[in-house]
Amino acid sequence: MRAAPEHASGDQSLASLQLRMAAALLAADATAQHLPEQLFAGAHPGAVGLRVHRNTVLGAISNALRLSFVAVDRLVGEAFFDRMAVEYARAAPPSAPQLDEYGSDFPAFIADFPGTESLPFLADLARFEWQLDELGRLQAHDDFDRASLQLEGGVRLQLSDSLRLHTAHYAVDQLRTAILEENIKALSLGSLQPGEHVYALWRSPAGVKVQALSAVSALFIAAALAGAAGAQALAAAAADQSAAAVAEVLAREVLPASFIRIDKEIS
Amino acid sequence: MSRGAAVNPIPAQAGIGLRMPHHAQLLASRPQARWLEVHPENYMADEQALAALELIREHYPLSLHAVGLSLGSAEGVDRAHIDRLRHLVRRLEPGLVSDHLSWSTTAGHYLPDLLPLPYTDEALSIVCRNVEQVQEGLGRKILVENPSTYLQFSASVIPEAEFLGAVAQRTGCGVLLDVNNVYVSAANQGRNASESLTEWCDALNFSAVGEIHLAGHAVVKTATGADLRIDDHGDHVCAAVWSLYEQALARLGPRPTLIEWDTRVPAFAVLQTEAALAQSRLDALPKPGYARSA
Repeated sequence: MRAAPEHASGDQSLASLQLRMAAALLAADATAQHLPEQLFAGAHPGAVGLRVHRNTVLGAISNALRLSFVAVDRLVGEAFFDRMAVEYARAAPPSAPQLDEYGSDFPAFIADFPGTESLPFLADLARFEWQLDELGRLQAHDDFDRASLQLEGGVRLQLSDSLRLHTAHYAVDQLRTAILEENIKALSLGSLQPGEHVYALWRSPAGVKVQALSAVSALFIAAALAGAAGAQALAAAAADQSAAAVAEVLAREVLPASFIRIDKEIS
Repeated sequence: MSRGAAVNPIPAQAGIGLRMPHHAQLLASRPQARWLEVHPENYMADEQALAALELIREHYPLSLHAVGLSLGSAEGVDRAHIDRLRHLVRRLEPGLVSDHLSWSTTAGHYLPDLLPLPYTDEALSIVCRNVEQVQEGLGRKILVENPSTYLQFSASVIPEAEFLGAVAQRTGCGVLLDVNNVYVSAANQGRNASESLTEWCDALNFSAVGEIHLAGHAVVKTATGADLRIDDHGDHVCAAVWSLYEQALARLGPRPTLIEWDTRVPAFAVLQTEAALAQSRLDALPKPGYARSA
């Protein structure tokens, strides 16, 4: 072993070095990306090694986000996505090694990202993809214990444990499908106009499922997920519509869906 | 604390690093592999992937190779991450558990890379403390891997091999000797790789070496036109690393050996072929009972 070289001044602890290295690796400013060369000793300048690590860190973060926001990446292109991901990484670095859980704030971060002005639905699309990604990582149970609704005639409705409602300001399901199928031209003009869209999202053994809901169905399921009893959920869905009209919508949209299980008591 | 033999030991044969794109194939057709290794962080927040791994694990010995413990962090190891790893260890009962001689976490931020340490007495104390904490938390011994290095610190006073040897000696942990990393680091430091490997073997207690890693790497040019080798796990093992592996086996004897391939992941058959090349070298070793020169 050789003797440690003396340093001119400053905190030479490992904790200090690691803080300085992290700051240099995440820095956007070229000057701040450098550390004094006297810290390093090797065949290559320290700046060369720091660049390798910076590329690895930012590349790994960008790739992790790309896996969660597939359609956003496809829409804006790899280079622009990397720009957004790198700026996000610098603003909000990961806090834990399981990068699958990193990126929940990415949709909000890109909402006003310079260069996306022509894509007003981009953040909405990202929020939708984050929900799909979260559901995709759930184990595919076939459990229906989330909510139970007792209706007239001994009918009981049970909702999938994984069911959640997602409200978007654009038709993000259509948008995402068109982007992934590289068929943007198939989108109707209406799907690119703002307007409230509610989706039922759930995890079935066959994968993540999405179903667009009418206002009636959305109100009914929202009430059920909030713990309402059967009659209360129906009342919430009715608003100013007749019971028959509500029943018709639910029979068409909700009852056939695989996020619901129907039991009928045998009397 | 019990640090007995693993429930499902990893054989001293050539295994394959399992990545997500191959899950379906392994579940469907169970292709031949002597053992598998995964990064546990890929399964900590993905119940679906973990469920698949549990099914795969019924048919193959499994090793967990962590990348997120940050054994070199001055601020210590995140107890929550140890808990997450312990949960997986209990569910999967791996034959080996390992991580790296590096750091990734500081001030609550996780930087997804294996960042280098200055090899100082302070760093040695910190790494030993962290390894002890992990082994205590998991209730078992871990292996610690030598990383590829692109930076060396002027503050370093302990040669890397001696540093890791001291960690193993003080904590009772094992060593995962990554032969590709030895090669990459030696090349990037302008050193002879064979001499570097000899230093590693001299510095380590042979019985501490529980696993060997092999991988491909990239070569890029720096601004000055010099070669820089990047441990990207994105190619076949190069001839020079195969030669170094043979040198390691001659010194250490047979060890579980893993083929890692993380970037541009090829078909599983390609990994099988690469593992067969490692296995042929393991098979060529003198059988037990033959004298082996030191």
